[in-house]
Amino acid sequence: MIQVDEKPVKWYQGMTIADLLEQMEDVRFCSVVRLNGRLVSSPKFADTRIPKDAVIQLLPLVAGG
Amino acid sequence: MGHMQLKEIKAAPYERAEVKKGYTDQSLHINLDKTDIRISPIDTAVKEKFIGGKGYDLWYMWNAVTGSTKWDDPENTICISAGPLGGTPGYPGGGKSIVTAISPLTGAPIDSNVGGYFGPYKKFSGFDVIALTGKADQDTVILIDGIESKIKIFAASDLPETAYEMSDALTRYFDEEKPVNISVVTAGPGAENTYFGCLNFSWFDAGRKRVRYKQAGRGGIGTVFADKKIKAVVARFGAISMKTNNPADLEALKTVTKTHAKEINALDPKQNRMALVGTTHLVPIMNDHDCLPTHNFKFGSHPGAAVIGEDVYEHIFDKGFDGCWRGCAVACSHGVKDFSPFTGPFQGKKVFVDGPEYETVAGCGSNLGIFDAHTILEINFYCDAYGMDTISVGTSIGFVMECFENKLITTDHTGGMDISFGNRHSTLALIHQMARGEGFGAIVGKGVRQMKQIFATQYHADAAFMQDIGMESKGLEFSEYITKESLAQQGGYGLALKGPQHDEAWLIFLDMVHNFMPTFEDKAEALHWFPMFRTWFGLCGLCKLPWNDIVPEDNKDTEEPAKVIKHIQWYADFFSAITGKKTSTDDLISMSEAVYNFQRVFNLKMGYGTRDHDTIPYRAMGPVTAEEYESRQERYDTQLTEKYGMDISGMDTNAKVAALRKERESQYEQLKDAVYERRGWNRNGIPTKETVKRLGIDFPEVLEVLEQNGVK
Ligand code: SF4
Repeated sequence: MIQVDEKPVKWYQGMTIADLLEQMEDVRFCSVVRLNGRLVSSPKFADTRIPKDAVIQLLPLVAGG
Repeated sequence: MGHMQLKEIKAAPYERAEVKKGYTDQSLHINLDKTDIRISPIDTAVKEKFIGGKGYDLWYMWNAVTGSTKWDDPENTICISAGPLGGTPGYPGGGKSIVTAISPLTGAPIDSNVGGYFGPYKKFSGFDVIALTGKADQDTVILIDGIESKIKIFAASDLPETAYEMSDALTRYFDEEKPVNISVVTAGPGAENTYFGCLNFSWFDAGRKRVRYKQAGRGGIGTVFADKKIKAVVARFGAISMKTNNPADLEALKTVTKTHAKEINALDPKQNRMALVGTTHLVPIMNDHDCLPTHNFKFGSHPGAAVIGEDVYEHIFDKGFDGCWRGCAVACSHGVKDFSPFTGPFQGKKVFVDGPEYETVAGCGSNLGIFDAHTILEINFYCDAYGMDTISVGTSIGFVMECFENKLITTDHTGGMDISFGNRHSTLALIHQMARGEGFGAIVGKGVRQMKQIFATQYHADAAFMQDIGMESKGLEFSEYITKESLAQQGGYGLALKGPQHDEAWLIFLDMVHNFMPTFEDKAEALHWFPMFRTWFGLCGLCKLPWNDIVPEDNKDTEEPAKVIKHIQWYADFFSAITGKKTSTDDLISMSEAVYNFQRVFNLKMGYGTRDHDTIPYRAMGPVTAEEYESRQERYDTQLTEKYGMDISGMDTNAKVAALRKERESQYEQLKDAVYERRGWNRNGIPTKETVKRLGIDFPEVLEVLEQNGVK
């Protein structure tokens, strides 16, 4: 299991952030997540594997400036 | 240096106007030519149309200058205003000052939105806006004392040189016992000797028992301040509470303040953690999205960015409450204590650095090829202490470095300095020179636009290449985002009234990452709505960050998440609670639209404000050089073939650069057309008579300016 926005989500070996978002609804604005405290941005979603027991926060809009 | 001396040369007692529903309805005019102090009421019609803040500033400036006024003419007027909502303790971002003047860099009105307590203290002392005009014949300090209801003008001598020391000395001088009652506005030696001088607005950090400051950075208002021989303007006021604005509905104000603050307290730790890292979280995010300027905006990412972002600064920032306004829950104005510079007048001493924010890290770090958190801190410290805008400093030095690496300038011109990318010693040496107005630094301190001219005429450098890589528009240096892949943000910069600063529109992610505005009309709509709403913060005396840097958890379920509608409703409630005027979210936009268009006409009055002046350098649109193209070849090749349907098989890189450029420049022109139409402007970018009539700014002098520019 991993925690995504404080809710448990089923985890599997090799799961990437892109895979996680694929199975979630309403994530069209998610271009950055925090994976175990570290920022990961959308260009890296497909290559970033989620470790077991990870804690993930989906960051909403990036507002800038 | 001797002991600081302040000799009172004028004192004017006054009856402090009561604040009613966020307004004092009084303006304070200080003419330094005559050491004249005048207080006058603000017309109801001006209040209705210009709302406050930037609106008031622009109106008073418009009346003070003519179309031929230059930045260093005595009639150039620095206006500072707080806005009706400014000075609400506990409301996140509820206490900004808005400063304007005719800019030394652009020749047109410039505005800057800044923290610190000055704006609210000045308002509560009795003045919605202050206008500083004329030039003193000696160094001058102005005190607005709302506790004793007196305005005083002092001749000053032996003041500390830097803003860092001067803010502290004047804070303690004017209220030794209660330094928290004081806010000081200062510039510094760099403001005297460059065209991008900033103003430092202070507050006393009661927790750390020290003076802190934030900067009104853009456009050289500090340079105008120094040119008037003003060393400092000080506001003094006592205890404030939610009642000090005398709101129309105190209970409603308490409710909306509590609601917004509570949400930030709950969600910031789950979102951007600005209370811990400020805006440095943007460094890795921009880097990953290829939007972090590196090497004079040539590229958008660099492996070195990993050591200049939030991961590092979170551990360097001093722990404690960091609101630049009282009780601001975002509390993002971090600093570093006991920092020891390795160069300059503070070498080896321990100082407190206020910052850095994202813009400084990007502008004075990655953009210069400097990937060292401590050097960035040192640059940040000296720019503030000298009174120089870190954005213009970073963007100007980046330009110089690229010119140097391309041999457009050599050590013959730089006084022997190697100004290659990454050279932190030369960067700091240049900054010290700029502040003293000496050596090659004196030329860099004139900004990118003037450097282009000097390098071309005196050093015979390639003018066309410098036009492409010199990151300025309207004379103002770009703030720190790469816009090559976001046409909407190219417009966000190029079509911004004061020049390329991101505070009007920041659309990179909506456009480039989410592709939510595929058509020109979509982009034009965004380039209408966002600048209008963002302008509203400047009218009211607020900080924009609490609007959309922390968003409600259910924001994504709303119809237009980018607008963060729930917060806009809170802002409408906030405005209603203070002013007593029942206000809808649409009303906020119409308030701004009048002032926004007025500012465009003001640009026109000063000889700017037309289509030509909305031009941006090609580097903001696409790859200038083969090196840039080849670094992202797959991206550009795909665009040429798929988006533009070209056969590129026989093309070399230079041919591809040229082909892409033709397309992108044409797109930018089409974007201008779409935005002008949406804003109710003609094809030359000038508001039509119908537009100014609809907005109620069809004053005779506005119509006269339009007519002079061919608007029938
Ligand atoms: S959000 Fe940050 S910059 Fe804005 S008022 Fe609060 S502390 Fe200052």
